[in-house]
Amino acid sequence: MQNVLYIPVQLAVMLLLAPLVNGIIKKIKAVSQKRKGPPVLQLYYDFYKLMKKGTVVSETSSWIFRAAPYIYFTAILTAALFVPVTTVLAPFSVTGDMILAVYLLALARFFMALAGLDTGSTFGGMGSSREMMISALLEPSLLVSLFIVGLIAGSTSLYEIMKFSVLSGITILQPVYFLIFLALWIVLIAETARIPVDDPSTHLELTMVHEAMLLEYSGRQLVLMELGAALKQLIFITLLANVFIPTDIFVQGRGFLVTVILSLGFYFVKVVGIACVTAVIEINTVKLRLFSVPNLAALSFAFAFLGFVQYFVIGR
Amino acid sequence: MSLQNIKRQLQDEFSGYISELSVMYGQEIRFSTDADKLPEICGCLYHQMGMPLVDLFAADERSRGGKFALYYVFAHRTKGVFVLVKTLVDEKKPVFPSITGTIHAAHLYEREIRDLFGLQPEGHPDLRPLVFHGNWPQGVYPLRKDYDGSLRPPMENMEQEFLHIHGTGVYEIPVGPVHAGIIEPGHFRFSVAGEPVINLEAQLYFVHKGIEKMCEGAGIEKCFYISERISGDETFANSLAYCQAVEKIAGVEVPERAQYSRVVFAELERLISHLGDLNAVCTDVAYGFAASQFGMMRIWAYQMTDQICSSRFLRSVNSIGGVRRDFLAGWEKKLQEFLLRLYKELTDTIQIIKSNSLFIDRVEHTGVLDLQTAIDLNAVGPAGRAAGIHRDMRKDFPYAAYGKLDFTVPDHNNGDVNCRINVKLEECFEAIKLIRQALEAMPQGGVHIPVDKAPPYRSALGYTEAPRGENIHWVMSGEDNTVFRYKIRTPSFCNWPALCHAVKGNVVPDFPLINKSFNLSYAGNDL
Repeated sequence: MQNVLYIPVQLAVMLLLAPLVNGIIKKIKAVSQKRKGPPVLQLYYDFYKLMKKGTVVSETSSWIFRAAPYIYFTAILTAALFVPVTTVLAPFSVTGDMILAVYLLALARFFMALAGLDTGSTFGGMGSSREMMISALLEPSLLVSLFIVGLIAGSTSLYEIMKFSVLSGITILQPVYFLIFLALWIVLIAETARIPVDDPSTHLELTMVHEAMLLEYSGRQLVLMELGAALKQLIFITLLANVFIPTDIFVQGRGFLVTVILSLGFYFVKVVGIACVTAVIEINTVKLRLFSVPNLAALSFAFAFLGFVQYFVIGR
Repeated sequence: MSLQNIKRQLQDEFSGYISELSVMYGQEIRFSTDADKLPEICGCLYHQMGMPLVDLFAADERSRGGKFALYYVFAHRTKGVFVLVKTLVDEKKPVFPSITGTIHAAHLYEREIRDLFGLQPEGHPDLRPLVFHGNWPQGVYPLRKDYDGSLRPPMENMEQEFLHIHGTGVYEIPVGPVHAGIIEPGHFRFSVAGEPVINLEAQLYFVHKGIEKMCEGAGIEKCFYISERISGDETFANSLAYCQAVEKIAGVEVPERAQYSRVVFAELERLISHLGDLNAVCTDVAYGFAASQFGMMRIWAYQMTDQICSSRFLRSVNSIGGVRRDFLAGWEKKLQEFLLRLYKELTDTIQIIKSNSLFIDRVEHTGVLDLQTAIDLNAVGPAGRAAGIHRDMRKDFPYAAYGKLDFTVPDHNNGDVNCRINVKLEECFEAIKLIRQALEAMPQGGVHIPVDKAPPYRSALGYTEAPRGENIHWVMSGEDNTVFRYKIRTPSFCNWPALCHAVKGNVVPDFPLINKSFNLSYAGNDL
């Protein structure tokens, strides 16, 4: 029963919630600027509108440009299945682990970068090269962070790691988890093209990273790309929410349905909270110089490494 | 008297080569010389006497003396004196010696003259077309009097040549002319090695409207309206420069109240422009909070101008002979209140942005324009002042009521984006100070003296410190109160090459930020 429910619940929550995160961040930023801002649900309206529109494809592009949105989206959606939104439902039996999830995200990025290059437009190539630079800088930090929490929990399955967190109380209060949390937050900001690494609201092609690769997309293909990006963002937020601030311990011991609903309620609150903090960070920082991004990546890695030292060298 | 000293010095230095030495309006020293002596005289004025070249233009005076005239305008900024060197070029031998070799600032002026008049600058190092991108037929020169401005010649199809940089890993990024966002058209050709920019060439003149041609033969009143429309956000600065030139020609002294009113409107325009620039700089570094603060203050200023004169862009406020109406009467209190509100908000905002180290890190050492380059290109306005050329037309050549008011010229030397925004911030405070003083010192009385007659074939320089910098207009009247030739040189014309130099060595994603810190006008350059 639980296994059967896992996939539909996971997919429904992820897909429905992902665009909302962007809406919340935009709303908070608008309020800080004394603006009303777009409705929180704007991204859903945008998707609805784009679904009805036709797509324009450059004559000089190859099959990669047309295939990339589907590969990108499915790869990220598959990765989303390995990051459970709740530990109350056990995932399906052929569980992949976090390494698979990370490389599914890498596969998605690989095709997005290729698509950016494929049309041969001025800005796509620039976006692709910058994206690859940034991701190469952040990958060590992401993997080290995940391996450390994996080592502590004794598993590479994110479900098992989350389960372990639930049993250890509020993990973020432990030094190692706190440091890893900071490291992963920097990864979240960089991976989701947020300030200070990239500016999601800019119209200046010369400064873009993520947006530059999507410039040539329109209609349904754009929906897939944007929804994929939103999903990726939610994957990282889920990771932060469920590994570092586990709440499922509070909902145990009730009826099955109540437990699931309560668990998802807590999850929703955590996602909104993380979105709010992300928005506050965006308000207070400015976009870094492109060549200062390595410093930020180094900081992230330093946090992760310090966490490792704290737990495995000093902690024992 | 320094004017007489300069005149005597010129007589001593060039006795024998120069003729028709005269002084006009108490500040313009004019003389004529032969074309072959030009490089020597210009070199001496520039290098020995320390006068930068601020304008260089041609006029088709064949109807009067059978020849083309070239005017070289030098400015002695510490003494407040202009020196105009005139030389004649024969139609049969349309060649003049280039002075670009000694004075780099002449570079674009000479190319412009070649395109529009068909006079060849001999010895110019770069003779590619400037105004026309290879699509204008050869041998058609629109600013010659015998060319009918209403004609639309057939388009030629030629490729525009860019400077190519060769080397492994060096590639070119073409950007524009149509950009994302609502901005004017311009093509930028970057030569880059990875992210760092090796060279940037800006191709402008996509919105060349033939303003100077349009003005020739038009009445002085009509030209006033055209001058207001040279560049939307510099409406008042441009129309003021034009009015001052015509007032000089007509020999009209503007009433004092009008002079103070002109200061108020010119400074309001500066506030709007600078606040807009600061907004744009903050937007480009994704500092949304600061951007919206500056944007909000800019709108306050727009609302103020809209209430006072029913035109946010200050259109039809100026007039030849003063200001059109006594707009400021009854608004003094409201204006003072607005200035106080603006002052407080600006002080608070600056405190916040100056304590944001990430923001400061982003703008410091970005887009450095060094002093020597700024001098060589005659960079003007905030860009020049940030690089160490602390000159301001309002101080050096006081016009309107600026001579009677107290203000300081910002003093910065690093030439980076940070200095440029600091100059603009300080100028906002100076503008507030100036408007307050002007409102207090303003006497009662008339604001307008009608000017409907201008004596024919007289010329004068009109100049203002536009928000973007030194703005120089030269007007020559024709018969029946018309304009014979109107040469407009906006600050943007001087600063576009400076921008291209400031970008070198920076990474591509910093270009929009550097560009916004200069905030140059395309319309003001393309004329």
